[in-house]
Amino acid sequence: MTTPADLKTELYELVKTDLAIFNFLQNTSLDGLWLSDLQVPENEWVSDKFWQTLGYAPDQIPTDSTAWRSLVNPADLAAAREQVQACVREPNRLFEHVLRYTHRDGSTVWLRCQGLVLRDMAGLPTRMMGALLNVTKEKQEGAYAQEVANHYGSILSNQSVYIIRTDPQGRYTYVNDFFYERFGLDSKIIGTSSLDSIIEEDHPKCLAVVMQCFTEPGVPHQVILRKPYHDGSVKSNHWEFKGICDEAGQLTEILCVGYDITLLVENLQKSQHLLDVTSQQNIRLQNFAYIISHNIRSHSANLTSLVQLLEEAETPEQGAMFRQMLKTSTEKLAETIVNLNDIITVNSNLNKPQEPRSLRVEINKALEALSVLIHQNNITVQTDVPADLTVNVVPAYLDSILLNLISNAVKYRSPDRPALIQLATRHEPGFVVLSVQDNGRGLDVKKNQAKLFGMYKTFHDNEDARGVGLFITKNQIEVMQGKITVESKVGVGSIFRVYFNENA
Amino acid sequence: MRTPKLAYVVEDDPVTSVITELIIRRNLRCDEVQSYVNGQKALDQLTAALAKGASIPDLILLDLNMPLMDGWEFLEAFTHLAIGKQVCVFVLTSSIHPDDIEKSKYYKEVKGYFSKPLDNHNVARMQQLLEEMPQPETIGQ
Repeated sequence: MTTPADLKTELYELVKTDLAIFNFLQNTSLDGLWLSDLQVPENEWVSDKFWQTLGYAPDQIPTDSTAWRSLVNPADLAAAREQVQACVREPNRLFEHVLRYTHRDGSTVWLRCQGLVLRDMAGLPTRMMGALLNVTKEKQEGAYAQEVANHYGSILSNQSVYIIRTDPQGRYTYVNDFFYERFGLDSKIIGTSSLDSIIEEDHPKCLAVVMQCFTEPGVPHQVILRKPYHDGSVKSNHWEFKGICDEAGQLTEILCVGYDITLLVENLQKSQHLLDVTSQQNIRLQNFAYIISHNIRSHSANLTSLVQLLEEAETPEQGAMFRQMLKTSTEKLAETIVNLNDIITVNSNLNKPQEPRSLRVEINKALEALSVLIHQNNITVQTDVPADLTVNVVPAYLDSILLNLISNAVKYRSPDRPALIQLATRHEPGFVVLSVQDNGRGLDVKKNQAKLFGMYKTFHDNEDARGVGLFITKNQIEVMQGKITVESKVGVGSIFRVYFNENA
Repeated sequence: MRTPKLAYVVEDDPVTSVITELIIRRNLRCDEVQSYVNGQKALDQLTAALAKGASIPDLILLDLNMPLMDGWEFLEAFTHLAIGKQVCVFVLTSSIHPDDIEKSKYYKEVKGYFSKPLDNHNVARMQQLLEEMPQPETIGQ
């Protein structure tokens, strides 16, 4: 019975005696074998398998035993020779070198050569044996991997897209250089919460998208988030979040790719604002068209009817009456056109430049202009407006608004008590509010709210009421992006409040 | 043809008021026309007439834009009055605002909306509408 040890002995004996065994071993395990005479460098043997590896059929193998040298990359060959010399000098040194060979088809073949220096009894080097392994595939894969790495590296270090990875808790695990640059951050942020770099108002939005990454991993989820920029401004970024899972389906990280859309958002806001302004102007113009139409029509209708009646008049007295009415109507039409002109002036100057004006100085000017009226009627005026308060206005409109509100307060004073007009200011978010308060006749605001600032609305039997004052005032204030409100009680008085837009 | 015995003209412009009065007297053959310069004056008169049992108008020509009480306010108050007979209200205004035309349809008392002037065409339409109206119920007569 043979033991495993016997089998080993048997195989080792066979290698010595049976050439077929050795050939089998070298042909199956190696891609080439060579032996060279260290004393006579031209004396070399190279195995047929080597030539086969380089694409040479048995009948194509060159007869010159040193022909292989011309197929080796010269630099690799020189380096290998140096190593051979070192191995000859240092008995314990192993020879291992990868050399590039030219395949018969012209391509490069990478062969790893492991060599062994054989020495004689005196320890002098006599032969060198080399075993070759084809490592072309590994080399190619390595080169491809490097290429891929360079490719992705160039994507990551691009100058327009942010690339971030976070752990499932939202802590940064990777961010690309562009992100660092743009937000003035450094690698210290790795491990910190990505939520910290997003403005607080957008936190819920961000968390909601992260939740989506958990419930629906592997697909991108879009969101727009705002971050403070290194110069202090806030930038809007469009992000795509994607939950990445491991083999067990457990979410391991979130991949975020984002780009700056600040300009886009700003432009969108600008166009939205323009659209708002335009629709506002459109509504005003349309209303204005109806007002013009109404006011002109009422007189033109009279004229049409009167001409018809005049033609059909039965007596000279009737004719005279119609002619008189015709005269009245044309006069009224002329008056209406003058009034409309005032209003057109406001509506056609929607883009009048606004300038800062001291409210107190302008109020004093208005009071000065109305001083005769105020003195004649024994009216007390109290002004409580800070000297340094300015409002951004179309100067002519401010004059007109102040004159109109103050003269209205004078006009509608109560006959029952000494008239008092109080002007004061206060501040509200975005607005400077001027209040003009009187203790005059007042009016029922509930009933008249809609009509108060309308055209040709008069509430008292006042001879000189044109019914256009408050309408123009309201228009002028609206053109300056402000508003006007009224609070009033019959027999007590009225407070008109003018809101001057601080951002106008 | 149904001819209104008494008509109100509620109109703040004196010229328009005179013209309207003339035309409905002549063309609608209305016996008596009373003019009021605003809704309040007309409402006061109407309320007083109801209280006294005096004549109630068959027809009211109502302007919309008026001081103190405008046409809409008059209509609001009018719909709350207990009037024992059908009163035909025609809105007669310079307004061609679609909102006004639309709004007037909400009042069942408003039988027609007319844009000034009160020309032959408008008069013919008024006559037509008046003819289509059912004969007045003779409640309390």
